[in-house]
Amino acid sequence: MKNRLRVLRAERDWSQADLAERLEVSRQSVNAIETGKFDPSLPLAFKLARLFETTIEEIFTDEANA
Amino acid sequence: MTRSPTMKGSLITPAGRRLMWRSAVISVFLISFAFFSIWAFYHYRPTGPMAWLLALLPSLGIIGQMAVFGVYLSEEKDELNVAILVKSMLWSIGGTLSVTTVWGYLEAFAHIRRLELLWVYPIFVVFQTISSLLVRWRYR
Repeated sequence: MKNRLRVLRAERDWSQADLAERLEVSRQSVNAIETGKFDPSLPLAFKLARLFETTIEEIFTDEANA
Repeated sequence: MTRSPTMKGSLITPAGRRLMWRSAVISVFLISFAFFSIWAFYHYRPTGPMAWLLALLPSLGIIGQMAVFGVYLSEEKDELNVAILVKSMLWSIGGTLSVTTVWGYLEAFAHIRRLELLWVYPIFVVFQTISSLLVRWRYR
């Protein structure tokens, strides 16, 4: 699943570690989600959306519909 | 926002640290019980209920380690770490079942050396170590 995490993070000048701390997950998790190797659960996706003050659809793109 | 003061975007989560500590303590007990049982059987040749007790003692550590994994899975908030442990355990169970089943058939029909069942857990640990490294590497 593609996502805009790297862009959203860069807009706020946050490192992966910063985002990981805000999400209360490991930095490796942030990296795996950002690179599309790991898809987060719905609760974590909602947490990301709340954190970036946007919607899940604005962060994640279903590759089948891309 | 409430933040975990001990995490700070590190690779090891608080639950992961607790898993390592608990596993280390369990390992000490496991090894101590195993050596104690071997020593006791070698020197005193116990029989009856004492033999049963001493024979079961080392397995308590293994049952404890399984409980530690269970507690970790319930405590860990990091989804990736949970996924890594679950996947690596599935690979380990598959690998252990494959090796022991193949060995069992070879034992039954090709009359190779008998594999004592107490080696099943060490085989599982070898698979667990390798598979957790490989699964973690995949998510790098």
